[in-house]
Formats: sequence, structure tokens, C-alpha cells
Amino acid sequence: MAVNPRQATTLQPQTAAPPLAETAGAPIRQSSLWRDAYRRYLRNKGAVASAVVFLIIVLYCLFIPGFWFIPGIWTTLFDIDPNQVNFAEARLPPSFEHPFGTDQFGRDLFTRVAKGGQVSIGIGFAATIAILLIGVTYGSISGFVGGTLDNAMMRFLDALYGLPYLPFAILALAIIGTVNFWTMVLALTIASWFTAARIVRGQVISLKENDYVRAAHAVGARWHRVLTRHLLPNTLGVLIIATFLELPAVVLGEAFLSFIGLGINPPDPSWGSLASEARQGYRTHPLDLWIPCLFIAALVLCANFIADGLRDALDPRTRET
Amino acid sequence: MAAFIIRRIFWTIPVILLVIFMIFMMMRQIEGNPFRRTERAVPPQVQANLERKFNLDKPVYMQYLLYVKGVFTLDLGPSLILRDRTVTDIVKEHFPRSLKLGLLAFIWAVLFGIPAGVIAALRPNSIYDYMLMFFSSIGFALPSFFIATLFIYYFALKVNAFPTNGWPLGFWDVDSRVVLPSLALGLFPMAYFARLVRGTMLETMQQDYVRTARAKGLRWRSIVTRHVFRNSLIPVVTATAPLFGLIITGTFVIEVIFSIPGIGRYFVSSVSNRDYSVVMGITVLTSLIVIILNLFVDIAYGFLDPRTRTSRT
Repeated sequence: MAVNPRQATTLQPQTAAPPLAETAGAPIRQSSLWRDAYRRYLRNKGAVASAVVFLIIVLYCLFIPGFWFIPGIWTTLFDIDPNQVNFAEARLPPSFEHPFGTDQFGRDLFTRVAKGGQVSIGIGFAATIAILLIGVTYGSISGFVGGTLDNAMMRFLDALYGLPYLPFAILALAIIGTVNFWTMVLALTIASWFTAARIVRGQVISLKENDYVRAAHAVGARWHRVLTRHLLPNTLGVLIIATFLELPAVVLGEAFLSFIGLGINPPDPSWGSLASEARQGYRTHPLDLWIPCLFIAALVLCANFIADGLRDALDPRTRET
Repeated sequence: MAAFIIRRIFWTIPVILLVIFMIFMMMRQIEGNPFRRTERAVPPQVQANLERKFNLDKPVYMQYLLYVKGVFTLDLGPSLILRDRTVTDIVKEHFPRSLKLGLLAFIWAVLFGIPAGVIAALRPNSIYDYMLMFFSSIGFALPSFFIATLFIYYFALKVNAFPTNGWPLGFWDVDSRVVLPSLALGLFPMAYFARLVRGTMLETMQQDYVRTARAKGLRWRSIVTRHVFRNSLIPVVTATAPLFGLIITGTFVIEVIFSIPGIGRYFVSSVSNRDYSVVMGITVLTSLIVIILNLFVDIAYGFLDPRTRTSRT
């Protein structure tokens, strides 16, 4: 993630000149890689819009069913228990009180979809972070040490690549025995950490050849210092992009598992299980299926566009081709 | 080239052994596994006979070696739930149906995804490009179970164009009933191919040899077909193996929705029934398919791109 020299020279005159509003004596704002990236990201309208939509979805999921129950200070915006069964109100059409209507048990779908989003996005982020942690550890060891160890570790990854995603996740779930939020995270992580490991390894190997790494070695830096101070920070950009590429895959994987009935146990919803429940009654209540599926689709699309925007912002070289 | 192929095949064998080993060890960890010694009131002789029948009296490495031997001699052991059937029987009965579904989905993807990508790449930023990429984004983002449900409702129930009652069982039987499941399964690979082909073709058109071809006055049509398109197919070939892994994953869901008696649906019900030898057999089978596809892709890659032959795989 080295700063492109061409980019740097063209940007300096703009950023070095102090803005009009600033008074004399104020420190000159320096341009940094992250500030440049931020400006480049803001220029990409699609990516900005996606980030906004993504944020709205996350906020909706967090605040509507009340993620933090702090009595007296903060309970919830929409004071309905998502798992509260009320047969008197079954199958209501959308109204002001129930914006998405209710399901066949009279549970409010507006809060259920939000609660399901907490589960889906929560599993997505938790599994993605776990995948990246394992991937960084495995990939940096493999790429940094190199030689026979690297070869052996890559053979092992090749073997893991042979295991198809969903059967592997199902097997992992069967081994763990119980299905809840954290075991889902664990199963999805086990089934899909290898791509991140490959990315990190490739990045570390290509960075290892850079002059500043050699210089660090030459002035006597220990290997752990080279790894943690020079190599890993430079993979950060790639990792942020990988987060937003991995997230939709995990969210879809969780939805698939829930849909075929091997996911989160009822009554707790996830977007996949909400879709699965709604499929039976699609003929009479199509909206119940559309809403969770459109949320999944919006999340996947936004994450993809954010990843594209981040790639352009963090690595200007790819944009020029 | 021959050395490359032989080396690549040679590398596949330890990978297969390792995969079978991992699945084998995973299956031994499952709670309530009948492979474990149970505490049911079984007479000791019966228990001993049972253990001998399932090779449980032998040490673990012998069990593993016997299982590997079973995999290579197409004997995956008995089903734990259906007493009169072996896993091999079940696979033989159900697998061709899933294979047909997967292949048809792949044919959809190739037939429509690649031309869509080519058209979008030839007219970048045109209305065609935007429309095709819009549809490919939809195919990318919408989960296949949603698309499948919509298909059933609108094309099978409302407009009775493609019936979904049943599934033609023979491998070569193809009628209107296969259209909706295979299309629902094929949408994601289709979108994937369209994006991939568009991206690589746009990249290839920037290459120096394309400029040279234009400079020496070749017709644009022949540049596109001979230079750009053929080089853009290399990533498509590489993407085939992981894509088939995704299609296998997709069949699980599609078979459940369309009630196709294929291997994916059988796998899902076997997990619920705790029929572990079937679960294990199907997992090994799908893994072998992915590994062997990877092998073919690498060899094909060696033919398409001579540079990869010399470097170690």
C-alpha cells in the first residue's frame, strides 16, 4: 500500500496550501495516505450512497428492537418484543403500528426483521473478524517464514479448498452439537477462513521484497518488529477491503443454513429463517418474504460497492488500469 | 507439458488423503455418533460383533486406511438408518439427479453469462453495459432461495409455463420441468461470469499486443475474437472450479425448495437423521469432485497459459 509517487507529487500543492478560512499560524494540514483515501472514497458517489444505506440498515437493526437495555436511560425506540406471540393480531397488513405487518403468530415483523438483522449482521461481522484474525496469523506466518513451512501450510490450505463451503459448515455445526449465535460464527469461520489466509500470505510475500523491509533488516530490526511494524500495517488496506468482501459471503451462508433449517433455533429470527418461514405463505403474504430477502440483497450489494470504493480509494494503482 | 501434468496429478494424491483424513477425524468427533462405544444395554457379544462389522475393533489408523480403501473401491459402507442400503447405492441413485441440475445451471451460466459480459465490455458505459451489469448485480445479491420461490410462484403457479411437479429422473431426460430449478441455480454463476468476462476483457483491451494488432490494421472483429476474447477466457476457466463448489452448495437449497430427490436434499435430511456414514460419504464425494475439478482446471490452465507450466504448482 505504498503511496504512488505520481499521486503524491500531484497532491502536495493542493494540500500544502492552507485553506482560506484558516488564520495565519495555524498548522499546515498534511496529507496522509488515509486522508487521501478518504477524499478519494468521497468522490465515488455509488460507494458513498452504499455506505449510507449500509449504515442505515445497521442502525435500524441495532435501535429498533433495542440492542442496549439500559432501564431509564435507553430501552428501545419501538417498544415491542420481537418474540411476543399474539394470535389476536395474526397476519395483519402493514400499518402505522406494525410497519411490516405481523406473521402468522401475530409477532411484529418490523422488530423481528430488525432482530433478525442483528443476528445476521452480527454473525457476519463476528465471523468476518474471526476469519481475518485466523487469516492474518496463518497467512503472515506462512508468507513471512517461507520455504518448506510455507509450502506445507499452503498444501494444507489446498486440501481445505477441496471441502465445499456449505457441507463443511454443516459438518462443523454437527460436530459442535448445539446451534446458537457463537457456534454459527464458529462453523462459518471454520468453513471459510482460507481465502483470507491466502490474501494475507500473498500480500506479505510481495511486501517482503520492498526496499524499506530490507532496510529495516539491514539496520538490525528483529523479525517480529519487521512483521508487526512494517508488514502487517501495510496489509491493513487489503484487510479492510477483504472485510467487506467476506461479510456478504458469511451473511448469505448463514441465510442458506437457516433457510434449510440448520441455522439459529426458533423463536429467535435471522433473515434466513424469516425468509424460510415466509416461503410457506408466499401466496397470501408475499411481503413477508420480500422484506428479509431485500434486506439481505441490500446488505450484500452495499458491502460489494463499499469494497469496490475502498479498493479504488486505498490502492489508486488499480484505478488507472 | 507431460511432466507438468504428472507433477500436478502427483500433488493431488496427498491432498485427497488429507481431505479424507480431515473429514474422517471430524466425523469421529460428533456427539451421539454410533461409531463411539455407547452405553445402551447391548450384550457384549453383539457389541463385539457390531464393532467387528464396522471395523471399530481396529485401531484408528487402520479404520482410516480401510475407509480410504473403501473410497477408492467405491465402497462407502452401510447406511446407519436404512439397513438394507449402502451409501454407494444411495449416491448412485441420487447423485446423477443433482449432477444434471448442476450441469444445466452451468450451461445457463455459460450460454448467457459470457455473451452478456462480452457485450458489456465491447460497449462500456453504454445503456447495454449498465443494464447488463444491473441485472448481474441483482443475480449476485439476491439469495437463490428468494429467486426460486418467486420463480415457482410466478412461472409455475400464476402462469403455468414451467411445471415444477416432479423431476425427470433419468440423467438424459430433460423437459420443461428442469427449467426453473436450473435457472434459479444458474443465476449466480451467470452474474459471476458476466462480471468476470467484462472485467478481464476491458483489461485485455488495454494490453500492448491489442494496440499492436490495431496498429497493423487488423479488423476490430478479428482482434476481439482472436486476441481479446480468447485471452479473457483464461480467468473464466480458472473460476470454473470454485464456481462448481458454489453450485454444489446451491443445489442443497434448490433441491429442498423444488423437492428434487437429489444428493443435496438427501444430505440435509441425513444430517437431521444422524445418518453419519451417509453424511461422511457425501462430503467425501463432493470434496473429491472439487479437488478433481481443480486438477482439470490447473491442467487446462497449463495448456492455455504456457508460463504456468514451468513454475512449480
